[in-house]
Amino acid sequence: MAEALVVRNLSKRFGGLRAVQNLSFSINEGETVALIGPNGAGKTTSFHLITGFHRPDEGSVTAFGREIVGLRPHDICAHGLARTFQVARPFGGMTVLANVMTGAFLRDKRPEVACAKAYEAIEFVGLSAKAHTPARDLTTIDQRRLEMARALATEPRLLLLDEVMAGLNPSEIDQAVALVGKLSKRGLTIIIVEHVMRAIMAVARHIVVLDHGQKIAEGGPKEIVKNQEVVRAYLGSGYVHVATAGET
Amino acid sequence: MQRLCSPAFIGLAALAGVLIVLPLVVTSHFAIDICIRILLFAFIGVAWNLMGGYAKQLSLGHAAYFGLGAYTSTIMQIKFGISPWIGMLAGGVVAMLASLPIGAVCFRLRGPYFAIATIATAQVLMLLFLKFRDFAWGAEGTTIPNLGNTPLMMQFEAKAPYYYIALAMLALGLAITYRIERSWMGFYLVAIGEDEDAAEAVGVNAPQVKRNIYMISAFLTALAGTFYVQYIYFIDPNTAFNFNISVEAALVSIVGGIGTLWGPVIGTVLLEVTSALLQSWLGSGLGGVQLTVYSLILISVILWRPTGLLGVFTDAYKWIVRAPPAREAAIDG
Amino acid sequence: MLETVVQAVINGLLIGGIYALVSIGVTLIFGVVKIVNFAQGEFVMIGMYISYFLATYFGIDPLLSLAISMPVLFVIGVGLQHFLIRRVLGLGDMPQIFLTFALSLLLMNVALLLFTANYRTLHTSYSDLALHFAGLYVPVAKLVAFILAMVLSGILRVFLHSTDMGKAMRAAAQKPEVAMLMGINPDRVFCVATGVSLALAGAAGSLLMPFYPASPTAGQVFVLMAFVAVVLGTLGNIKGALIASLMMGIAESLGIQFVGADSGLIVVFAMLLLTLAFRPNGVAGGSAR
Repeated sequence: MAEALVVRNLSKRFGGLRAVQNLSFSINEGETVALIGPNGAGKTTSFHLITGFHRPDEGSVTAFGREIVGLRPHDICAHGLARTFQVARPFGGMTVLANVMTGAFLRDKRPEVACAKAYEAIEFVGLSAKAHTPARDLTTIDQRRLEMARALATEPRLLLLDEVMAGLNPSEIDQAVALVGKLSKRGLTIIIVEHVMRAIMAVARHIVVLDHGQKIAEGGPKEIVKNQEVVRAYLGSGYVHVATAGET
Repeated sequence: MQRLCSPAFIGLAALAGVLIVLPLVVTSHFAIDICIRILLFAFIGVAWNLMGGYAKQLSLGHAAYFGLGAYTSTIMQIKFGISPWIGMLAGGVVAMLASLPIGAVCFRLRGPYFAIATIATAQVLMLLFLKFRDFAWGAEGTTIPNLGNTPLMMQFEAKAPYYYIALAMLALGLAITYRIERSWMGFYLVAIGEDEDAAEAVGVNAPQVKRNIYMISAFLTALAGTFYVQYIYFIDPNTAFNFNISVEAALVSIVGGIGTLWGPVIGTVLLEVTSALLQSWLGSGLGGVQLTVYSLILISVILWRPTGLLGVFTDAYKWIVRAPPAREAAIDG
Repeated sequence: MLETVVQAVINGLLIGGIYALVSIGVTLIFGVVKIVNFAQGEFVMIGMYISYFLATYFGIDPLLSLAISMPVLFVIGVGLQHFLIRRVLGLGDMPQIFLTFALSLLLMNVALLLFTANYRTLHTSYSDLALHFAGLYVPVAKLVAFILAMVLSGILRVFLHSTDMGKAMRAAAQKPEVAMLMGINPDRVFCVATGVSLALAGAAGSLLMPFYPASPTAGQVFVLMAFVAVVLGTLGNIKGALIASLMMGIAESLGIQFVGADSGLIVVFAMLLLTLAFRPNGVAGGSAR
């Protein structure tokens, strides 16, 4: 299997804080990988580094055979990596359709084509009924759906989802898990940052665990749950997350 | 064919008809002068709105481009005898080129500090032109030699031709806005205005899009500058780079409806008619009244109707014709 | 030559003290309320007229009228925050910029209607006094204004560091969400911050009056200087604004001395544009909002 993403020795400091240290991992095409860890472990920073929003101090990121460190976020998106934000950032004044069309214009500048593709993506995430609603009027889960649709409309090969399930109720989490599964079936490679353990176990075959900016473990869900380092990291600072993850 | 029968098209055609016939009916110099001012400032507003309204890059320095356009054509005309028609285009190109370095500096900033930086650029240009005595007449400025009725030099005895030039410029500005609004560029601009990072994340090359729209906006604003000095036959740095031009460009858009096609037009009609009424009631002697009223209108709009007064009219229109929500309204203010 | 330079530096430093009062006000509102007050210069102008009229009608010395202009502007500031600024917080750039911008236009033009465009100067007993030493010349009025400006900045610093309200302001400036958790009522903190900021502008106006003419547009130069100083000194940073203001005053004065009488502003704007061009990431908020 070809490698979709190879991250090597990625490091980033903010002042004295080592947000990410020497992070290396790789993902095969078509795989779904979860990036987990306690709060402040460097998950979101890793996303920022991979997608060009922050420039790493050291290290390399190779996506589909091309070095992408140093590229601007829009170039990285054009190269096939689309992301969502931890706190959804829809274009509030635009309708759902216009939001998603904005993404679709990346591959085709013709409005009628972008519109058709946007409708398709909106239907895929189950937001068709609200296509003409201004994005700022959507509920939290719908804003997340919108962000996914907008990212999908850019026709990515690799999708980076940042805590798309935070703050959702259990039935909404089930819907979101189903959606991620559907995306994966389409052949998309997915990296997902998540706190909700139940969801991670359901979607990811492979898990990378971060703590204090460093990778402390990596493996399949069953190994990870038993891994002493992981348990210690979570007990140390984020035990509550694991314990309550099922209920959130 | 269906489009030709739509109420919007019929309305537009009727409006165009009225505007074209207007100078034949209205003969008062005062009235036609106000019409020309309205068309001109609506055009400047439309040019500002492309960048300030759609992409929310709130410039307060568009006088820089107005002045560059004015000076380019005037220098070409007086020093080299070149027609202002050509000077107008040259001025547009100069403004476009000037917007590149200015944008490179100012776009590093966001929000209020972008606005402040743009004020500074217009002020610096004004101060520089006060110093340019050799090729730009310094602080005293110059009158434009009156050649009588010479259409090729953009000089006319009657007011009507000026009116038609201003009308044509406004039509051009609106047509460009209409095209951009419905293309990918319009979506990209609004997306940048909403959230630049999120726009980048879906593949929008924000710096490039901002640079391009700034060039278009600067080009159009410069055309207005040339037209204005040809109309008043006089130029000096304080006229060409006047801060009030920057202010009015932004003001008419915000009052009318920021980031909408017709917003700047509605805003200009409202403000200029108010100003003309004030002038006829109070006489022109009372300095400060006009801007006092403008600023009160602006504060009221911001506090009670930040999307602009255009919405009041469209709501009223919808209420009257009971039309279903417009299908094409993919972008909401 | 050296003397000319030193003289220019002294002139610049003295006026820089006034710039500092205005800049500190701008940076205080920006830090706490997250608003750029485009009308700050007009409040300097109001302070000038207060002192002017108190001096002409009641014979009160402009330095004494500080005791009136500062409280009056404090109250105006609280009102401004409570009735206007509060309503546009969190609404995005357009309303936030254009509200205070419109206010600036309004105040300037109302002043024009009320007081006409005439320059009004005050002549005090010390207006013409100057200290002479080593061939240098230090006007007393400017020196007193500078000293009082520095004293007021010092008092502000003590206020911010040792009173509960001051600490609340600093907390609100650094970590709004933490300030909220500490049980600080943000509205009250915002009102006091805007009030204090305007009081400083009023003080600047009163201190200027013995040697600077009042006019409806008098505040504009000061607010432009303040914006530049605030950008140079990092937004929201009071010490930075103070030092930058003094530097701006000196730069302007050197510009006037060596480039030409009308070049002060060019030098200042050039400094602003150069700063913007060479400071990576820009200054207002970095890359992530």
